[in-house]
Amino acid sequence: MPPFDSDRLNAQRRVDIVLSLAFLALAGLLLIIPVEAQQQISSSLRGSVLAPFIWTQDLLRQTRVRAAEIDELQLQLDSTLAVVSSQRTLLEENLRLRALLDLRERGGAAFRSASVVRPGTHGSESMFLLDVGGEDGVRVNQPVVMAEGLVGVIREVGPNSSLAMDWTHPDFRVSAMTLDGETYGIVETARGAFREEDRLLLNGVPYHTSIAAGVPVVTSGRGTVYPRGILVGTVLELAETEAGWRRSYWLEPAVRPQRATHVLVLTDDEPLEVESLELLWIPELSPEEDEGNSGDPDGAGGEVPL
Amino acid sequence: MNRSLVLWGVAFLLPILHFLLHVGFGLGARAPDLLTVGLLVLARELRTGAAAGAGFTLGLLEDAFSILAFGANAVVLTVVGILGSRSRDLFVGDSLVFLASYLALGTWVRFALHWVVAGEEVRGDATRVLLLEAPVAGVYAAAVGMALLLVTGAWVREGG
Repeated sequence: MPPFDSDRLNAQRRVDIVLSLAFLALAGLLLIIPVEAQQQISSSLRGSVLAPFIWTQDLLRQTRVRAAEIDELQLQLDSTLAVVSSQRTLLEENLRLRALLDLRERGGAAFRSASVVRPGTHGSESMFLLDVGGEDGVRVNQPVVMAEGLVGVIREVGPNSSLAMDWTHPDFRVSAMTLDGETYGIVETARGAFREEDRLLLNGVPYHTSIAAGVPVVTSGRGTVYPRGILVGTVLELAETEAGWRRSYWLEPAVRPQRATHVLVLTDDEPLEVESLELLWIPELSPEEDEGNSGDPDGAGGEVPL
Repeated sequence: MNRSLVLWGVAFLLPILHFLLHVGFGLGARAPDLLTVGLLVLARELRTGAAAGAGFTLGLLEDAFSILAFGANAVVLTVVGILGSRSRDLFVGDSLVFLASYLALGTWVRFALHWVVAGEEVRGDATRVLLLEAPVAGVYAAAVGMALLLVTGAWVREGG
């Protein structure tokens, strides 16, 4: 154990006191030195010893800003996509209208163009208003079509407007046949849980007849309402079989009525300018093919039974 | 590992952590005053003059971000360093209760002294600062400081 040295201890105490007072005085001096000197000291400290901490904060701030910018960019991207989507809708409508115009040009003056208004009221499902009426040559039971195919039929006619029902209405029926005219049946609505699930059913097909998927089904013209050759849909698959008697097939509808904004009403005021209506919806059919696929049992071909 | 070495290491890292939390992460008052905790821990190991020097240095660093009361932290932490070092002659203890009381009281003294030294433009209402902010900050700093010291093993009871 080292010997107790009071002088050394006292000296150390004196040094401690002097140092403490010196640091206290130095600290007190910092309080009263000119502001410019204070700023110089603090600035040099911030630029040296404390710089890493400031850089850290700057880095974090930049990261936060970048994150905010990413959010902002995401919002801008969403907005741009929304604009592009709306323009796409306009483009699609434009294409539909062009197709409709083309159909009307090819079909002739018998087609009256009309705008569709959906009432949207309770009980008005599957019904739509048209801005053409009796003064435009529109009559009850005239078919309503689009460039894609059959939409529905006129049910009520006013002087300047009319009320029509589309194929999703439970009362909708149309006599139809395959494009080759070999198989006939009645097309009716099969409603789904949602409107998007509504489908068409080709019913009453003879049991011995089989229809392949993808075969177009058109109106047969056997009734008094629809002329022959309007595209109704294409065969999807076998729906039901009643042994030894009949079959039914699911159809993919040619038209989704909810997409209809502009339609054509097929009036009988003017004669049709096409030899066969099928050519309007299936233009790739050549006249020879059309003649071959007409399926007209009488071999009359050509004449459209309106 | 040598306990004294660990203690020095922690005392050195606490101010770094303090500036990282307060300045780097921008947490401000939400982060504990680890600068005072580090100084208090260090002061127990140093002679009074050295503790005053450590307090002055740390206070000067803190003052680098102070515009209206430049030097106040240097004065305050110099005093805290001196008091912390002198406390070794007045209080002898290594219990957790002592450690908690030492850190909490030391932090409260640091707040109180700063309120006294800082100008009127800086200091707030005395009641709010001395009876609310300072005690809360003291308890907060003591809790975090104790946790750090115990986890790192820098504070070990004699014979424990």
